[in-house]
Amino acid sequence: MATITRRRFLTTTAGTGLAGILATGVPPARGQQREVSYLCWNNFAPLSDKKLSEIGQRFTKDTGIKIKIDHINAEQQPAKYASEVQTQAGHDLIEMRMHFPWLYEPQLVDVGDLVADLEKKYGKAISSAEETAKVRGTWRAVPQYHAMFVATYREDLFKKAGLKIPDTWEDLYVAGKELKKMGHPVGIPINQNLDSISTAGPILWSLGGMEVDKDGKTVRINSPQTAQLIEWYRKMFKDCMEPEVLSWDNASNNQSIQQGKAGWIHNPVSAYIVAKQMKLPTGDTINHHRTPGGPSGRHETDAPRHIGIWKFSKNVEPGKEFIRYLLGRPEVYNEYIMSGDAFNLPVYDKLQDHAVLKTDPKYAALKSEGVQYHAYGWPAPPSDRVQLITNSFILPIMLAKAVTGTSTKDAMAWAENEMKKIIAG
Amino acid sequence: MAIGSVGVATAVPRPSFRARLSELLDRENWLGPIFVSPALILLLLLVAYPFCMALYFSVSNAFIGRPSNFVGIRNFVRLWESDAFRQTFQNAFVFCGAAVGAKIVLGISLALLLNQQLWFKRMIRGAVLLPWVIPTALSTLGWSWMFNSLYSVVNWTGLALGIMDPPGPNWLGQKYYAMTAVVIVNIWRGLPFFAITILAGLVAIPKELYEAAEADGAGPIARFWYVTLPLLKGVLAIVVLFSTIFTFSEFNIVYVLTHGGPMNSTHLFATLARQVGLETGRIGEGAAISLYLFPALMIVVWAQLRFVRKQAY
Repeated sequence: MATITRRRFLTTTAGTGLAGILATGVPPARGQQREVSYLCWNNFAPLSDKKLSEIGQRFTKDTGIKIKIDHINAEQQPAKYASEVQTQAGHDLIEMRMHFPWLYEPQLVDVGDLVADLEKKYGKAISSAEETAKVRGTWRAVPQYHAMFVATYREDLFKKAGLKIPDTWEDLYVAGKELKKMGHPVGIPINQNLDSISTAGPILWSLGGMEVDKDGKTVRINSPQTAQLIEWYRKMFKDCMEPEVLSWDNASNNQSIQQGKAGWIHNPVSAYIVAKQMKLPTGDTINHHRTPGGPSGRHETDAPRHIGIWKFSKNVEPGKEFIRYLLGRPEVYNEYIMSGDAFNLPVYDKLQDHAVLKTDPKYAALKSEGVQYHAYGWPAPPSDRVQLITNSFILPIMLAKAVTGTSTKDAMAWAENEMKKIIAG
Repeated sequence: MAIGSVGVATAVPRPSFRARLSELLDRENWLGPIFVSPALILLLLLVAYPFCMALYFSVSNAFIGRPSNFVGIRNFVRLWESDAFRQTFQNAFVFCGAAVGAKIVLGISLALLLNQQLWFKRMIRGAVLLPWVIPTALSTLGWSWMFNSLYSVVNWTGLALGIMDPPGPNWLGQKYYAMTAVVIVNIWRGLPFFAITILAGLVAIPKELYEAAEADGAGPIARFWYVTLPLLKGVLAIVVLFSTIFTFSEFNIVYVLTHGGPMNSTHLFATLARQVGLETGRIGEGAAISLYLFPALMIVVWAQLRFVRKQAY
């Protein structure tokens, strides 16, 4: 009988094992340990990120699927996502803001089954979420939560000066003049950042204007309504604000009201949440009111956020399981929403009167009856080209040009030309 | 029947593999390529491949994650129609000219100073290198706080000294101030490279030349003009060459300080390429922006290297 040497034994067993794996296409149990990775933004309500990590750990314990959650700044998301798509490697799940599902449509898994389950439980997804996550009839991402822009103001200053809470943008001009005299100017950024668009958009809509028409092709920025918008910004810039708004980034208006300078800003409730959490003196003096309106109604920028799954992911099913765990279990979703302290609001119909809105009387404005919510670029359908117009910051650059000396006609013509080039592709 | 000579094959033992390998490695035409190949492979993977990809993207209508087609030089032609690009083109030359010019003057001055007999000479030379050593993104964040409209320590100091009128310059919110701010930070960051490299050139100049010049009655300015500067030409050419390329392709400082704003007035090729190529998905156009100056820079590099070679021989 031939003796079996140690070397021969190892060679034979390894060869047989490898042949088995290649033949069946199934890796051994050790290699089958399920793992999923999720890339999301640094939430402006930091406690909600802590809660997400806690939920992730529980998910691993309950399902045996490991989850790795990474965070990056909102401004870095487009570049990071682009590189993941180009290299066809990276995370499995990605958090997507507003129109992102339209931009990355061919790369995203159809998640209609997940959304159908959630809608059965919680009611339909709100319109802004559906407009942005459902691309040409297919859900490319699962609506997760949304954050809306409201007016954030220093209640103490308004009371001290006997100022009326602005109901229209013209009212804001009247209040703003007094605020500036008191050394607490209005803080609306006019620079290359998203907050600048989030305020300019609602004002333009309230005047009946738009950047691109409903057909998604006709550029409408060169209009009498835009001229009115520019004139409003010009007088606000001169009488109610300080030139610093031309250098502001997304965080500057928050910092300005938190540090006691600005008297009024337009922002989600994050400025108040952080002031409260950090126990800043202004935490007690900040309150909110509905976004002002205009002749064509009251409009609000809504920032719905979704979770998408890359098609190149090898962990689509575990990824779906995590989404079901986070959003599909009412107690987990509720816990997650509560941790955001009203910055992350539920995005499904039946949850609109959520308990989180009752945790602080200063969240009353978030119920915002009579406000129409839109994503950037409305009323144009949220196509990739509309997203390109947003990312090129044409609206705020047009306004910055106008308030620093360019004529209204030239500023509008410049914006029209830039937008037309993008729409033409 | 003709009888020819019949060769008798003798059995020569075949050299072992090790012997043959040893023999091959003894030949220069084998050993050279073997030594060079790891570096060559790295260069191909890390430089040639991305560069060729960028070249391909720049002549295609590539959009993130979608199939692309060849479009020739359309991207390069259409870019010129864009107001943002034309502004960027102008910004790049203003930024590069101002920053490199200031770095030459300040770099030579600092190098001359460091070449003197100073107390704590080594410590000072080490400290001068700090801006070059600290990660740019991190140090620029510090500058962004210094120029911040709410907390600007620059304005606070200026106001305290009475040399600025309240509220002080809006550093990052006005076109010219914003460009000044990014140039200042670039000079701060790049100065050590100039100073230390020029210092190395200064140290190498033989002292006898200065002694001879002094004996001939040359003053400090004449010594600098007729001895120091001519002998620094080669070093200066190399430093200016590198700095020009680095400054044209600057990204971190502008991205952290201004994001290209206000009104695109500080956008450089790299930041605009990122905005167009990555943030808005048009990789083809983004690649064209980043490669726009490539031919011009190639000519500059060729001319300067030629000049350096002439200096050397």
